[in-house]
Amino acid sequence: MMRTLLLLFPALILTGQTAVKTSATAKAPAPVTNYKEMGSPTAAVEVDAYTDYECPHCARFFKDFMPQFEKDYIQTGKIRFVHRDFPLSQHPHAQLAARFANAAGEVGAAYYDIVVNQIFKTQNTWSVNAPDGRGTGDVDSEVAKVLPPGAMQKVRELVKSDPRIDASVAKDVNMAMNVDHVPSTPTLVVVAKGKRDVISTFMEMPYNIFKQYLDQKIAQ
Amino acid sequence: MRRWLLLAGRLALGVIFVVAAWAKLRAPWIEFAGNLAGFQLLPDWALEPIARTLPWCELALGVALISGIWQRWFTLIASLLLGLFFTVMVRSYAVGLQIDCGCFGPGEALGPKTLARDFSMLALAVAVTVGSFRTGHNRTSTKAEPVIA
Repeated sequence: MMRTLLLLFPALILTGQTAVKTSATAKAPAPVTNYKEMGSPTAAVEVDAYTDYECPHCARFFKDFMPQFEKDYIQTGKIRFVHRDFPLSQHPHAQLAARFANAAGEVGAAYYDIVVNQIFKTQNTWSVNAPDGRGTGDVDSEVAKVLPPGAMQKVRELVKSDPRIDASVAKDVNMAMNVDHVPSTPTLVVVAKGKRDVISTFMEMPYNIFKQYLDQKIAQ
Repeated sequence: MRRWLLLAGRLALGVIFVVAAWAKLRAPWIEFAGNLAGFQLLPDWALEPIARTLPWCELALGVALISGIWQRWFTLIASLLLGLFFTVMVRSYAVGLQIDCGCFGPGEALGPKTLARDFSMLALAVAVTVGSFRTGHNRTSTKAEPVIA
């Protein structure tokens, strides 16, 4: 009897795996607002990226990983990419930065990417990664450098008073915590055939290993 | 008393290996491959095969330890494996790598806590191995010897 139970261990584990994935799929909410998406909307594989604007690894993700990834998978229409916000509590200015990026997206979809890149690029001036260890939190002046004055004015108004901005961030945070159980940032979630693979260690590995895995997912 | 301690130690070790395997197997192989890559010891080509097979080996080892089959040899394998893991972790910590331990799934940074925990597990494995060899505890050796007339 004992032996039989022991032999059933692997089967039980695999059953558990299926249950976890199925429940995650069932809870997945409706797609996010369009400005946070790139690539082919009909692609069989979706990649969601959870980032925090004040996290240095996330800045590295946008600087080092994204250009090649965009070229290989987004521009070729092989995947649908969704950027999701996951501002962490230990980062005092991350939520504000997320509000600026989302407000820019609301003003014009094309502004979203410009502002996201600018916020990450200037992280060392306004965030806790600044030389003083605290940062000014002055995201406004960095964003103002890349947006036309009219658009910047609208962004400021949205950041100040529009509840949609916080709702958009809250929706992503809820998904990170309750659906994908994101352990750290940046984290990628690869969605294929209704299964959500949460990958938080991709920045540790060479790009070609991740590419190998993603190509397997696309070929499935 | 000693026998019961040995049994408890062996079961604890078995459960530890099963839990560690389960945590890795429920995540995609690429997640564990990322953990392995973080240690900067393996060549790129080895990451996928090791990430795919090591958790299954841990599971098999855990099940073998719980069942008590070939106790001396499986406790020895557990000790050697934990010794290897601990050495790699100490080396990575000493050179200042800020990485995940990857021992029980994602999101656990390598640090003094994980090192202390893994050292305790290694100490337990060594104690159970020594105990098993001293008591000659091995299920295969308990078979009745044929009587030669």
